[in-house]
Formats: sequence, C-alpha cells, structure tokens
Amino acid sequence: MKIIVPVKQILDPKGITVRRDKERIFINREEYIVDLGSKAAIEAALRLKESVADAEVIALSMGKPQADDALREALAIGCDAAYLLSDKAFKEADITVTVHILAAAIKKLGGADLIVAGRESSDTGAGQIGPRLAEALDYAQVTDVYALAVADGMLQATRPWAHSYAAVKAPLPAVVTVALEAFPPRYAHGARIMSAYRDWNVPVWTCADLGLDEAALAPLLSFRGESFPPPIEAEKFRGDPASVAQEVVMALRLQKVIG
Amino acid sequence: MDFSFFGDELEEEAGKKTIEEVGEGYRNIWVVGQTAHDALLPVTLEAMGQARGMADQIGVYVYGVLLGEGVEALGETMIAYGADRVLVADDPALAEYQPELYVKVVADLVGQYRPEILLLSATELGNDLAPRLAQRLNTGLMSHCTRLSIDMSERLLVGTFRVLGGEVFHTVVCPEARPQIATLQPGYFRVPYEDSNRSGDVKRVELNLAGQAGRLAWIDMGTTVELPPVPLRKARIVVSAGRGMGDADGFALVQKLAEALGGVVAGSRGAFDEGWIGEGQIVGVGGQLITPDLYVACGLSGDIYHYFGLQDAKFIVAINPDENAPIMKVAHMAVVGDARQVIPAMLDALG
Repeated sequence: MKIIVPVKQILDPKGITVRRDKERIFINREEYIVDLGSKAAIEAALRLKESVADAEVIALSMGKPQADDALREALAIGCDAAYLLSDKAFKEADITVTVHILAAAIKKLGGADLIVAGRESSDTGAGQIGPRLAEALDYAQVTDVYALAVADGMLQATRPWAHSYAAVKAPLPAVVTVALEAFPPRYAHGARIMSAYRDWNVPVWTCADLGLDEAALAPLLSFRGESFPPPIEAEKFRGDPASVAQEVVMALRLQKVIG
Repeated sequence: MDFSFFGDELEEEAGKKTIEEVGEGYRNIWVVGQTAHDALLPVTLEAMGQARGMADQIGVYVYGVLLGEGVEALGETMIAYGADRVLVADDPALAEYQPELYVKVVADLVGQYRPEILLLSATELGNDLAPRLAQRLNTGLMSHCTRLSIDMSERLLVGTFRVLGGEVFHTVVCPEARPQIATLQPGYFRVPYEDSNRSGDVKRVELNLAGQAGRLAWIDMGTTVELPPVPLRKARIVVSAGRGMGDADGFALVQKLAEALGGVVAGSRGAFDEGWIGEGQIVGVGGQLITPDLYVACGLSGDIYHYFGLQDAKFIVAINPDENAPIMKVAHMAVVGDARQVIPAMLDALG
C-alpha cells in the first residue's frame, strides 16, 4: 500500500510574538519546524504502515529549498521516501496552486492508495488541502479523522459528527485528514536522524519535472492585509481571596456566564 | 431544468436595479444551508443575515440552497430569514452526507444559475464539502471567516479569518474566479430576525443522480473501533489546572470547582506531566482544541501553544499570582492571586 503524506514547513510559533497593542508580529527567532498537523498525519500514516503488510510512506513537501529539513525530519521519524517540490515559479503559490503542484507530484509517483494530511496547519489553518486533493485526483475523502484502519481495500475511520462520533467506510484510493489531537507524534530515532542527512537522498522536483503550465501557477486568492484583535482589557481583581472570590462570582453571574 | 421560473420579469417586479455585467454574468448571493433535526442550523441563519446585508448593498437576490431528504419545508424558513428564492435538492440519495454527490449537486446548480458569491458554514459538513466544491469549480475559498464585507469599488467579497492561533487576522479577496466562496465560523455573526411576512419562491430542482452513488458508507458506531471519549471541545464549561496548583491537593480544588460550576476538568501539558490529568485532557496544540462558554485557568501561565487550544472560548477567567503571565493578557477576568486560596473562597461564594 502506497501512503503519501503532504508535509508543510512552518515558522515556529514559539519564535513569534504578536503584539496586539503595537499591531505587529515580532519574529524573535526565524526557525522552521514541521507543521503540527503534518506531524499528526505522519504519525497516522506510520501507525497504518505498522498495521498492514507491505506499506510504504512517502512524504511530499511544496516549499522553499529549506523545506528539505522538514522532509529529512519526516524520514527520521519513519517515512520511507521524500520528495521536495521546489521552484522559483512556486513563489506566489496559494492553496489552489499548492494543490495543483501536489496533485502533479502524486500523479508522477503513480498515484497513491491513501493520502494522509493534517486536518489543518497550525499557522494558516485553512483546512483545504485534503478535500481539494481528493477532488483533483477523484479520490474518496474523510476529514477530521480520530481513528483509522485499512482492510480489504477499504478504509474505516472515526470522525466527529453531529455532537458525537460517526464511523465511515470508504474505498481506496482515498484522502483522509487527521485530527492533530488524536495522533500525538512520535520522536525521531537517533540513528535515523543521522542517516536522514547522511544516507538518504531527497530528490527535488521543479516546475518542469512536474509539467505544470502557467495557468496552474496563478493564485486565485489575493491578500488584502493583516489586522489584529483589539487588546483584551482584562478586568483585574486583586486583594484578599474571600472578597475577590465574591466579586468574581458576582461578575460571572451578572455577565450570565454562570447561572 | 425549468429556467423560466427565475425569469427576468420577476427581477423587474421586485424593483431591484440591474447590475451591469460584472463577473461575466455571475450574480446573486447563495447560502448553502445545513439542517439538523428538521431545523436550519443557527450558523445557516447567521449566513442568511450576512447574505441579505451584502445582497442589499449590491442589489441582488439571496438564494438559499437546501440538500437532503424531506428538507423542502425548511425553504419557507430560509425565506423568513432573508432568502428571496430557495432551491431545494430533495432526494433520498442526499439523506446522508456524501461529499461527491453534494459537490455534484451544488456544482451543477452553480453552473446553471451562476451565483457570484456562495456562503457555507464552517461546520463538520461545511469544512468537508467547501474545499472540494471550490476545487471542482476552480475557484478560491476563504475558510473559517469571522468577518465578511463587500468591497463596493470592485464588487468583491472580502473575507477575514484568523491565523497564528487567533492572534492575527488575514483578509483576502478572490478577484480572478467566480463564484467567490466563503465558509462562516459559527457564532461570529448575528442571527437575523425571523420575518414570516417575507415572501419568496421555493423551488424543487430536478436532480440527475441516476447511477450516481456516494463512496462513503456511514456505519454503526463502535463495533470495530474503540471510541475516544466525547471530545472536551464540546464541553460548555472547562476548568483547567496548571503546575501552579502545586500538588494533588491543589488539583483536587480544581476538580471541586469544576463540579460546582457543572463543568469538566482539563489542564496544561504541565498538569499532564504531574500526572493529574490524562493525555486527552491537555488543552492546546498537540492536545484538545476547545470551544467552551467559560474557561477557568487555575495556576496556569498559558503560552501561545496553550492559547491556540482555547481561542474560541467565549469567556476566560485566569487565576494566577503573576499578573504578567501570558494567560492574564488574553483573559477577560484576571484574578491576581494564588488559586489555592482563591478557589476555596469561590466555592464558598458559589454556595
């Protein structure tokens, strides 16, 4: 079974401070990490690989050359192969362009039995890549998956649905997006970290390799700017615990937060 | 399909001004409704309110679109909440959600009627359907919008949504493709007043679903998979513990407070490391993403990873001795003090 995982590299949120009052984002450390949604997807793919015979997990990333690091981390965690999709022509890529690029790469790999993606990335969190890929490749789709199994060419997944969970079956090939809270990632094995850089090759596929034309590279959404939520002016309570507690409970009742 | 039903004479009758050809013949604003238990979801009503306001601004009609089985009666409800016309795709094949069928039905209708704006809700169904639909229609999607408006100079839908764990908003437009699609984050828009005097047309559309079957099989729960607990993210009141509770006795106070408030217990990764809570109770990135009405953070400093998990909390109370702790900056009520003293006093005050 061929499992393909799209991997996104993001700026580490721990290196970012957002100052609402200054309406600015301060980047204290420019460090890149594997997006936490992608990490959950890798985890789900590896668990599946361990549960079925004869499976391979391939990581794909569309990004700048430094996304090579994210792919080597994916290899170190346990993926079997990785491809970097990188080209100056991808610079303006929005979600639709990214989907064209990923879909072209997946076709070049001969398609997949299963594509596992994160439900949403931790930075922009649009949650579109999975279903859009499913449409581009005409695969079945199940999103927001909490538990996943594959048997006899069918996948079975559990997902939140209408105030509870629902179980769904779908035929392969399919795209699933996984809930990051359900697949806490494993750590990379030390020896694999060494070999991820020393022994493995991460091929780079460019626009020409993927045979993409200009129309596929034209973004559809255009950015109009960023804004910031107003700073919250917290009501501060201080003093002796008994009177503070009285005030807080009264305020909560007044605001109808509690009965 | 019968086109005369929405003929031009109807538009003149309503006395709306004609818009010059913009967006190559795309016009009107659509809301794809979502139903549960024979009612429209609140977020669909919120979308109706937005659609009505924007349609009045640019002088077009609001169309409601309903998919399902036995949903035709809800067409009148959509009209009462602001729709001028409702298209109903009523078919047993649509009784259960099937991504491919729903996409096909909506995409076919879009191809025939050419709306310029299409609104859906960012629910479990909407988040599954909208991106696939946008891909089929080869257009952009502004997902999880918390604010929508019209740029009148270019007649564009302007969508604003949160990024970076809710600390920053991004605003985008989709100038190059039609329809412009957005999903609305539930709870961010006003539900309009119901006006049962409004009138409009409800039309059942003919569907061509012969030989089409969805690929999903919705099956009975729980026989083959072990179910995770009902997600923390559905809890209305969450009381959360951090390392600042000190020890197991301190954590017991948090449990008591949760009980008194009728809520559930959660915590930070620190509380998990202390062994007070299970892995499924950690709030934040890599843990649970929750949407309670009330979140009480006790002895918890709360970094951006933690806040990411509770950005949708409606009301946050933080109890922390350090008034500069990150959680105190995002809380609505910041209690400066030791939670181990404040909680017993709160329990007394709650009676």
